[in-house]
Amino acid sequence: MDLGLQGLLVGIIFGVLLQRGRLCFNSAIRDVKMTKDNYLMKMALLAILVETIGFQLVAQLGLIKLNPLPFIPLAQIIGGFLFGMGMVLAGGCASGITYRIGEGYITAFVAAIFFGITAAAVRGGPLQIVNKWFGKPITTTNNPSGVYAATDGKVNLTIANLLNVNTWIIAIIFAFLLLVVILVWKTTERKVTGLNWIWGGILVGLTGIIAYLSQKTYALGITGGWVNLLRTTTGNLDLSKGVPYNWIGMEVFGIIVGAFIVALLSKEFKLRMPKDPKTFVQVALGGILMGFGAGVAQGCNIGHILSGLPHLAISSLVFTVFVVAGNWLMVWYLFERK
Amino acid sequence: MAEVKPNYTLDERGEVCPIPDVDTRKKLKEMKSGEILEVLIDYALSKERIPAGVKEVGGEVISIEEIGPSEWRILIKKL
Repeated sequence: MDLGLQGLLVGIIFGVLLQRGRLCFNSAIRDVKMTKDNYLMKMALLAILVETIGFQLVAQLGLIKLNPLPFIPLAQIIGGFLFGMGMVLAGGCASGITYRIGEGYITAFVAAIFFGITAAAVRGGPLQIVNKWFGKPITTTNNPSGVYAATDGKVNLTIANLLNVNTWIIAIIFAFLLLVVILVWKTTERKVTGLNWIWGGILVGLTGIIAYLSQKTYALGITGGWVNLLRTTTGNLDLSKGVPYNWIGMEVFGIIVGAFIVALLSKEFKLRMPKDPKTFVQVALGGILMGFGAGVAQGCNIGHILSGLPHLAISSLVFTVFVVAGNWLMVWYLFERK
Repeated sequence: MAEVKPNYTLDERGEVCPIPDVDTRKKLKEMKSGEILEVLIDYALSKERIPAGVKEVGGEVISIEEIGPSEWRILIKKL
């Protein structure tokens, strides 16, 4: 099957699950602090648990090579922090603003466009100079069991290749820790009309594994998809030349389509606009911070958190810590400060 | 169910996540015991999250009514 078509189908499934599960990483991280509500966080942790084992398994079977994101310390520290603050202003993480376009949120569309344009500017566009400030990736030549994708013998850092131990050992320890947290941490009560956290977590995790098998080079992502959609759509208006939409661009488009279809069916589609026009400025600013952060850090909450943590990539672990810090700081500033 | 007359109304339709939740909690903190707050929302996640979220600030959801396409009216009592 054509790679673009596969991306579209995976995106549609992911969009349906995001909408029905109401899975937004901005909400998941924020609610744990602000309202002591862990419902979405547990859904996300379960998805990461499923992927941790799943990615190992399909790599072991030789179906894919694990491809952790490059570790550029300053990029993930600063990028993660800016991304974490930006998503509070934008009212959603990268996947959150993408699927909410399908639900009819005008603000999500504005945030996503500013996110995509800024990320595209940083990745090969007029702002690409900024990548020089953050330096080059730190790599290793360790490749335990040969499960990692290598370029000239260099592999991006993970806990397993840093320690040079079998990747299964680290994956099983991490999965076990996640399982303990999931079992011990009492779930916040919530009457859901969509998917509950258990189904949402398992199905999102399985979709991540399918995404890896389909795209081969990586699992689910958002940032690269927006960059591709904007660049090919605006850069190649000559329709006689094939428009090179790639897997991840079509996946992002599919998320919007999937969320739109299922929102219509569940009568949750509605064009929504905030009453105060200043909100548009706020979400645009949030989108710019997110686009810059995800652009330099090589990934967003999906690339680094949902898809990156199961790799136990050092880049993704650092990014995640600073996303949480940025999110909590901005939540405090906007909503909790007296 | 007998019609309950709210003391205050918040129209949170169209607002960005999590403004409906934050405004509702803020308003409840200021209210006196026994008063009723009416919140209009169009965001399904807030509809599911508000019942648990208001407990912490001494509120209790007494009803959630669908008033339109993806629009709900939530009545919350300050305990």
